Amino acid sequence: MFDQRFIRNFSIIAHIDHGKSTLADQLLLKSGAITQREFREQILDDLKVERERGITVKARAVAINYTLDGQKYELNLIDTPGHVDFHYEVSRSLAACEGALLLVDAFQGVQAQTVANAYAAIESNLEIIPVLNKIDLPVTRVDEVLDEIESVVGLDTEGCLRVSGKAGIGIESVFKAIIDRIPAPKGSPTDPLRALVFDSKYDHYRGVVTYVRIKEGSICKGQKVYFMKAGTSHEVLELGQFRPDMVACEELGPGQVGYIVTGIKVLGNVHVGDTVTDFHNRTPTPLPGYEIPQQMVFCGMYPIDATDFERLREELQKMSLNDASFSFAPDTSEALGFGFRCGFLGMLHMEIIQQRLEEEANVDLIQTAPNVTYQLKLRNGETQFVDNPQQVPEGGNIEEFGEPIAKVVFILPSDRIGPIMQLCADRRGVYKTTEFLGPKRAQVIYELPLAEIVFDMYDKLKSITAGYGTMNYEVIGYRPADLVKMDILVKGEKVDALACIVHRAQAERRGRALCKKLKEEISRHQFEIPIQAALSARIIARETISAVRKDVTAKCYGGDISRKRKLLEKQKEGKKRMKQFGQVEIPQKAFLSVLDANKDD
Amino acid sequence: MTSRASEIGLSNEARPPAAAYFHVPFCAHRCGYCDFTLIAGRDDLVGDYLRSLDLEIQRSRIPLGTPLATLFFGGGTPTHPEPAEMRRLFEMTRRYFHVSATTEFSVEANPLDLTDEKIDLLTEMGVNRISLGVQSFSQQALKLLERDHCAHDVRDVMARLKSRFENVSLDLIFGVPNQTLPDWKETLERAIELGPSHISTYGLTFEKGTAFWTRRERGDISAVDEELEREQYALAMEQLPAAGYEQYEISNFAKPGFECRHNNVYWNGDEYWAFGPGAARYMNGRRETNIRSVLGWLARLERNESPVADSEELDREHRARELIYLGLRRIRGISRASFYEQTGFELDELCGPSLREQVQLGLLDDDGSYVRLTLEGRFVADRVVMEFL
Repeated sequence: MFDQRFIRNFSIIAHIDHGKSTLADQLLLKSGAITQREFREQILDDLKVERERGITVKARAVAINYTLDGQKYELNLIDTPGHVDFHYEVSRSLAACEGALLLVDAFQGVQAQTVANAYAAIESNLEIIPVLNKIDLPVTRVDEVLDEIESVVGLDTEGCLRVSGKAGIGIESVFKAIIDRIPAPKGSPTDPLRALVFDSKYDHYRGVVTYVRIKEGSICKGQKVYFMKAGTSHEVLELGQFRPDMVACEELGPGQVGYIVTGIKVLGNVHVGDTVTDFHNRTPTPLPGYEIPQQMVFCGMYPIDATDFERLREELQKMSLNDASFSFAPDTSEALGFGFRCGFLGMLHMEIIQQRLEEEANVDLIQTAPNVTYQLKLRNGETQFVDNPQQVPEGGNIEEFGEPIAKVVFILPSDRIGPIMQLCADRRGVYKTTEFLGPKRAQVIYELPLAEIVFDMYDKLKSITAGYGTMNYEVIGYRPADLVKMDILVKGEKVDALACIVHRAQAERRGRALCKKLKEEISRHQFEIPIQAALSARIIARETISAVRKDVTAKCYGGDISRKRKLLEKQKEGKKRMKQFGQVEIPQKAFLSVLDANKDD
Repeated sequence: MTSRASEIGLSNEARPPAAAYFHVPFCAHRCGYCDFTLIAGRDDLVGDYLRSLDLEIQRSRIPLGTPLATLFFGGGTPTHPEPAEMRRLFEMTRRYFHVSATTEFSVEANPLDLTDEKIDLLTEMGVNRISLGVQSFSQQALKLLERDHCAHDVRDVMARLKSRFENVSLDLIFGVPNQTLPDWKETLERAIELGPSHISTYGLTFEKGTAFWTRRERGDISAVDEELEREQYALAMEQLPAAGYEQYEISNFAKPGFECRHNNVYWNGDEYWAFGPGAARYMNGRRETNIRSVLGWLARLERNESPVADSEELDREHRARELIYLGLRRIRGISRASFYEQTGFELDELCGPSLREQVQLGLLDDDGSYVRLTLEGRFVADRVVMEFL
């Protein structure tokens, strides 16, 4: 058991792109956890999509040995994602630490997630060490950024570190600050075992691997442990640390971070936030645990070929093994047949899952446009939550249509306040406050309907501020709004999977945009196809796809026969990947048009 | 093989095909819309071409003196080489195949190539059908299509051909950029005035890799509006039959008795020999296409290698489906009875639902024994046949 006086547990918190993963890699490299040969960028991001997108999606833990003044230390780095969609993973990681490095880009300065993550760390009573990164850049704003850290985050920047993860500058000072300033973990080795489950993953060979942070007591191989929330007991078959690969050890003591393997096969049986204790010598009080992450965005996923339904279920199951924050449930659509309704933390999360499904599974999918969850108060007094426009009851039965509202914090150049306020006003926002962070930057707070921000607010903000604006949001509750369900009719038939919920005042504009978009997406047929948007029975927008008037091969002689037949066969193959509604073939992409039509301002 | 024989399904695999195609790739100039296998400005290669063609025929192991019902020389421009070279070409082919008085012997010709000397030669060699690449009678269209002749040249050559050839076909193109409906009407009328036995009308196709394709991408020229192109096609289908040219295929019209028998071989799904660069043959159930590069074709034959670049052998069902795709190009359509005899499939078992759907859409006509495109169906024939592939 490692002497807990020489253990330090810390996270790196940062706004996305401020260089968190690069700094983490440098810490691994400089401590010898990995060799120069093994060194590669973002070693902690082991999902392919993380590498590709340069973002961290899942929390990671790694144990590093470092010797300072002849004393060997064990430093446990618990990596966290930076994107707002995965904010809950941040608080999860923080609960396993005593300190955090607050990493801020020396040019970009304090951003929305810097603030959100720093507050989370402050709430968790962590020792926070501010670190300016990318100091090797030709242009930095060191003094202003330090001011921002003091004024916005409220941290003393006296001992602020200056580093460059990329160039390897100042890495030793980071180690020293971690050791000197972050307190060693408390907790007695002789108390009954209490270990916090802060994550889990599915390993093909070991089954479920549970990430734990020991608070008190110790855990060793062969021990019988009890998961307090799950109410299950298991024998510890293997335990160890991430260095960064899994390395088995005999025992983990107070303050240590590592993993246990107990033979659990189903990820759903391990609850993140659960407390692990000794089966025979149980602690009376479990650890506080976590709030369950809330899914904000829902969409339908349907196999194009109905016989792929079971395969899709298996693939979704596989995805959810490693991602407890993703949910799915069987669903049926008149238009699309059998499929699944899937829930995500946000749009990025949705895109990531979708990308992984495309890459790892070989199922042709139709994905419907995403939407948020609505709260309906019905005339009969019932309250109903609806995450699928198809489930919205007839207008007459609805007393009140409630939509989720988010408090949104923007941090942006002061000269862009005007355009952002205009955007928020267009999006039915309620203005709260503006606070100037310095001569050139401001924090603007709005309350906005979640539906108005999840899909594209981030992109809009980036374009309005030339990339310098950032935002963070949290859902604060439901508010009634004048919402209606908009139906889409293709050649006179309602296509339920294209229905969406819109604000009455915007219905016409969105209806027109959607019809126009569908006209682009649906190819011409041998007959005319009217596309209509309707509120109940009232048509509010219409477009017509004209019929193909001429499509005939002029020459078909000896040399043309094979070539032209193959062209037609290929064309026909393309049609097979579309969904047939009556006589109309609608391509996959068309179902996401709802999304684009919303973007079309 | 007569058309009657194929109609009752006498596709006898033991007997060699009775149709042959020769591709002559030489041209004075590559026109901007053309994507055929050709080589322009390399007349020095004609000698090599003739040698390689001889090798290709030899190696195909045709039974000497195989009788031909139809023989077709296409290009390129078969009338482009020097008269002596043309003579060698025709004599060579007649050494391997038996050409009789009943053989339909077609040669594609460029109006300006047809000197009296060449016309004499063609007659002497037994050619009995000339297919003239006229394309248009409008100077503007001819210029855009990069043709070297004018309307007057066509009238001149027609006058000289008239006494020698009973069977002359004119090729016309519609859908030419900037071509109006009256322009096209005039071209049709001029063609009818000259009284050929056969007229083909082709909607201009922008083929990938051609100069026209690039020019259209650049916005330099634009395709005519779809509705206008449709009207132009409709006009041909109205005017030509009214003048005695019965439409027998999507793009082909003929006076009674003058349908191109060679081209009917293709749409009947019958087999045929083919030689030359880019030529495609159908033998023993196998479709093969030669390498399109003229130099590549020459080199392969000289190196004693096969000139075949692509080949496919369809299974029974695919062959049957292909026959629908080909057969529907003919205006008389597909006979249920001969379809069954030729393929072993009942049309309705193979594709009953598609058939009924297209009939319901008014694109196919089904009288119980024949299935054919309706007039409306001819405009969107590709969409219709796609349903059966």
